Amino acid sequence: MSSVGVTRGRLHPLAIVVFARRMIGASLIPVVVVAFTWRPTFVVPGLLALAGIGLAIVALEWRRFTYRVEGGRLVIERGVVRHTTRVVPLDRIRGVELQAPWLHRVLGLVRVDVEAAAGGSSAAELSLAAVSAGEGERLRQVLLAGARAVATAEEEAPAARILYHASPRVLAAGGLTSGRHILAPLAIVGVVANFADDLPGDLFEDLLGSAADRAPTDVLGVSLVVVAGLILTALLAAGGSVLTDWDFELADDGERLTARRGLLTSRSVVIDRARVRGVDLRDSPLRRAFDLVGVHGIAGGIGGGRSGRTVLAPVIAQDGARALLRKLDPEARVDTPLEPHPTAARTRRIVRAVALPSALAVGVFALGWLWVGVALLVLALVGVPLGLDRYRQLGHAFDGNRVVIREGSVTRRWTSLDPAAVISYAVGRSPFQARSGLCTVILHLGQGAGTRRVLDCSEEQAATLLAKLDAPLFQPFAAVPAAAQ
Amino acid sequence: MILRDPSRQLDPRVQRLWALEWALAALVCGIVTTSIAMPLALADNGWAAVVVALVGGGITLGLLVLAVVQPRLAYCRFGYEITELGLYVARGRLWRRWQVVPHARVQTVDTKRGPLERLVGLVSVEVTTASASGGTDVPGLDPVVADGLVEELARRAGIEEGA
Repeated sequence: MSSVGVTRGRLHPLAIVVFARRMIGASLIPVVVVAFTWRPTFVVPGLLALAGIGLAIVALEWRRFTYRVEGGRLVIERGVVRHTTRVVPLDRIRGVELQAPWLHRVLGLVRVDVEAAAGGSSAAELSLAAVSAGEGERLRQVLLAGARAVATAEEEAPAARILYHASPRVLAAGGLTSGRHILAPLAIVGVVANFADDLPGDLFEDLLGSAADRAPTDVLGVSLVVVAGLILTALLAAGGSVLTDWDFELADDGERLTARRGLLTSRSVVIDRARVRGVDLRDSPLRRAFDLVGVHGIAGGIGGGRSGRTVLAPVIAQDGARALLRKLDPEARVDTPLEPHPTAARTRRIVRAVALPSALAVGVFALGWLWVGVALLVLALVGVPLGLDRYRQLGHAFDGNRVVIREGSVTRRWTSLDPAAVISYAVGRSPFQARSGLCTVILHLGQGAGTRRVLDCSEEQAATLLAKLDAPLFQPFAAVPAAAQ
Repeated sequence: MILRDPSRQLDPRVQRLWALEWALAALVCGIVTTSIAMPLALADNGWAAVVVALVGGGITLGLLVLAVVQPRLAYCRFGYEITELGLYVARGRLWRRWQVVPHARVQTVDTKRGPLERLVGLVSVEVTTASASGGTDVPGLDPVVADGLVEELARRAGIEEGA
């Protein structure tokens, strides 16, 4: 294994600045307390002493942090008070992410986050807080080369094929249709209101009062303010999306997929191509109206959807998504016709969407809260078209190469999956499903990739699907021998 | 019919184990109810005491009924089977669940004995896979049967003994 070569290293000396910033973030309050409560003659030496102690701790932290790649393993040693050593075999490393928040960018550093398939490992321990950009790139090559000879990485990487490049226009459209950023203005108001209490005097109240005095009361004025608010929200939404996903680029060098993005904080994620066993296309009613979708890879061992590490395209036009899918997985078929589920599933979808708000409404009316009850009833009414659409979207298919599953309305997910990625199979049936002859097939995927389910299909569909997915495995269990054929 | 029922059943003693578990839960519930209702009654808070006693007593009674009824039903509806390629477990009556774990995907096979299981003289076998939720378990087996099961599962999964 010595062919990998021993690479020892410390973090970049400027990592001290990064550590220091982290520390100041945590200890700002004690410092402020000292500054305001101690007598002025003591404040300056006191603060200097604090700064000195802090710097010493930070420097020690930097000195104690070493990493090396030897014998096919990544070894990270750290700790000022308690010394810890972490050893991760390279073949367990699933992905390496380089991130550069603004301070890192100013200093020319990157943070390296290593994703390993290790039970219960906390991400922080497998993170190198700050190394130079060049070292980060080199480290990534070494770590991902893993058991393979590092020599190939040393050579000039084969010309990477750009699979997708997001234009600012598409990103802005994605932000506008995401619905996620609509909460941004609320967050801003919240933050301002939070700080307002700490501002001297009644500055905030005065401002608010004068704003209220000047606020228009006539119809035209109010609608102008509302329109301005909506435009501002939309601009913020578009801006937020453009900022985080700026210049998103997905490249493929044959072995790995590299996704780069971000304006202020740049991120770059590398995924082993062989680990991508399927693709999720996600959209919402708003995005469907504009023919936009988000593309996520299904890859075992890479932190699930929340970490955003499996994003293959944050937002892309429907046609682009088809082309991208073809390039990612030539076996996948976007146009596979889906088998609809029995109509009993429709009743179930509607009942489930309507029952809860209705029941709550009854309770609320009993308590005498009229308006809340009315609102809940409206919600229950909305549940009818929602349930109908949820049923319309349900469907699955298996063409011998890829399983395709579709589910959801408000957040719809279309999945194309290599059946070889399925770890184990399960079928669940609740009493309600049993009465309508339905069941749910659950496909368990590798760690981090979660499960995919075929919701509310008929028992016959479930049996047929399982028999087709893994014929030799399910042949002995078939209810009626050879009925699937 | 989705899949036919598995061929093997658990050890009948597992009914005693489950009954014991439900009875223990009923005991705990009863103790908690009494320890809340008694001080309330002593403090002349009659209404509250009655409400607590009724609710707690009802739950306790329900658990006792379950202790009598559930084990037999669950036993009848629990089956497992090892085939050439996988472990097949089916359980539950109302909320029925069929699980099939291919041998090739099995990472570990464990046997477990809790204090209650020890009392009844049974063992449970747990199978884990690379998927966090994708494993399964077979509770309430005779130790000899369990050893055989573990041996067979491990052999088919290609797990070395003592690894």
